[in-house]
Amino acid sequence: MAFLLKLCVAQQILSSVAIRSVVKILLRLDLERKISFFRASIIVGGLLVFSGPWEAQADSTDTSSQYSVIESFQVHGFLSQAVVNTSDNRWFGDSPDTSYAFTEAALNGSARILPQLLISGQVLLRQAGDMYDGSPSLDYALADLTFASTLHYRLGVRGGRIKNPFGLYNETRDVPFTRPGIFLPQVVYFDRVRNLVLSSDGMMAYADTFQDYGDVSLIVGGGWPVMDENVEWSYLGADFPGDLESDSPLIVGRLWYSSPNASFNMGLSGTALRMRFDPDVGAPFTLSSGTTDIFYWIASLQYNLELWTISAEYMRQPIEWRDYGEFFPEQDLTSEGWYIQAQYRAHPQFELMMRWEEGYADSGDRDGTQIDRLTGGAITAYSRYSKIFTAGARFDINQNWMVRAEYSYHDGTFILSPRENPIPRDQEKYWHAVSFLLAFRF
Amino acid sequence: MKRWVVITHMMVVSMLFPCKGMTQELIANAGLQVSEISRTQARLLFTMRLQQWPDDQPVKVFVLADTNPIHVNFAKRMLQLFPYQLRRVWDRQVFSGTGQAPITVATEKEMIERVAATPGALGYVNSAASLSGVKQIAIY
Repeated sequence: MAFLLKLCVAQQILSSVAIRSVVKILLRLDLERKISFFRASIIVGGLLVFSGPWEAQADSTDTSSQYSVIESFQVHGFLSQAVVNTSDNRWFGDSPDTSYAFTEAALNGSARILPQLLISGQVLLRQAGDMYDGSPSLDYALADLTFASTLHYRLGVRGGRIKNPFGLYNETRDVPFTRPGIFLPQVVYFDRVRNLVLSSDGMMAYADTFQDYGDVSLIVGGGWPVMDENVEWSYLGADFPGDLESDSPLIVGRLWYSSPNASFNMGLSGTALRMRFDPDVGAPFTLSSGTTDIFYWIASLQYNLELWTISAEYMRQPIEWRDYGEFFPEQDLTSEGWYIQAQYRAHPQFELMMRWEEGYADSGDRDGTQIDRLTGGAITAYSRYSKIFTAGARFDINQNWMVRAEYSYHDGTFILSPRENPIPRDQEKYWHAVSFLLAFRF
Repeated sequence: MKRWVVITHMMVVSMLFPCKGMTQELIANAGLQVSEISRTQARLLFTMRLQQWPDDQPVKVFVLADTNPIHVNFAKRMLQLFPYQLRRVWDRQVFSGTGQAPITVATEKEMIERVAATPGALGYVNSAASLSGVKQIAIY
């Protein structure tokens, strides 16, 4: 664990060359644009390959030619603004002085080219403190082809940029209306590294069965994660000269069971991926070309009644760091987190929520005392865990407008973004947050 | 006393003819070759997971607003789902690009007009008596 001391030294060296980093970030932004352009071309190409033969078939059969693609076209979107105030620590911006830097907006379109073929895409704008600056990103763009659809089963495949179907919330994690609160349970759905598990550029196959005992569905796929600097900050502790990139395609899977009236849901979902650090060769100090292997999985349970919804999820994430050089020795650890949450619909337009969650950076050192001792307090014990109590209320003014209020009390700072709070010793162990959110949808 | 007679009468009637007049009716475009569907099929259709009728006609689903009492009763009695569960499914599909939402209409009158005018359309009303252009679909 002594490497972490060295890590702090490395961080100091880095901050002294801050100007250099700014230039590098600018360069990287440019690089990312090229990558997304490349990915976009793959996606568009994929859509053309998919839609080509089916359009031809549409012209040749009578029933399909009646089908109106224009009529099937749908546009939806949302816009939301939050206000966050914390007693201490920066959370989605300068929250100790009240932050308005949490804004989400999206616009999506979808069309059924044929009953079997859906194409869709969404552009997302998201400002989240220092983590995301609000520049637009392609959230998803996909073609969904159903091979077979009967009363007993459904089989199909999706290609393009696809939201990863993890847990109860990942697919629509940026849509305020679909979240249980203003913030998702952070110990399972980290906002500081959301992009690692957000979506994949690739293919996913799905198989659903509809039986008397309920619905069982399986999704299996592969692709490349859509990564950013937040991932590097969280998994390497700093933004070293160079880029942390996906080394090989990731594997995604989800198995889900839902009782016939969807009152009881349970599932397992996860991904395995490897990231490799591509060092900047001209830099005075950086890491070697090491790898980080992650296996992230979630077990989910949900029980739905007319007035109550009880949800619980457990996340486990074994991580292995290898070959980063002498300043960053090899290491294995397992992060974990779980929560239990109750939602009570006091009125069709008014909902109350309460949640308890716990998350640990290292399941072998839950209270963080070992690393605190080994690093002489440079890494504080309380930065290695988070125990959070949250209470919130939601009011749906009408079908389009929603307001929310939320309070959370935190013991520990594990969920904080190291990008927003780079110096562990400056973080406060006990803190609380009050937030409000106003959202519009159509 | 008169009121009690009326109430007793209503109770007897509602026991003899369970839910008649109070129940919601599933309606479809008159051109459809289907007259009854199972509850599972109804759920698949209203959660937008079944895109075609047995004769390959594309399905067009119409619903009323989430808080409309006709919608609430239809979801709970006919589909045995709560309105928030339907909304959750539609939102997940719409905002992950893996499906679509049904078309929301403002009133029961508009529901009947749109179902009557759209081939393959499916919807619901409070009572399907004397409706032109639409047919009643039974749920078994």
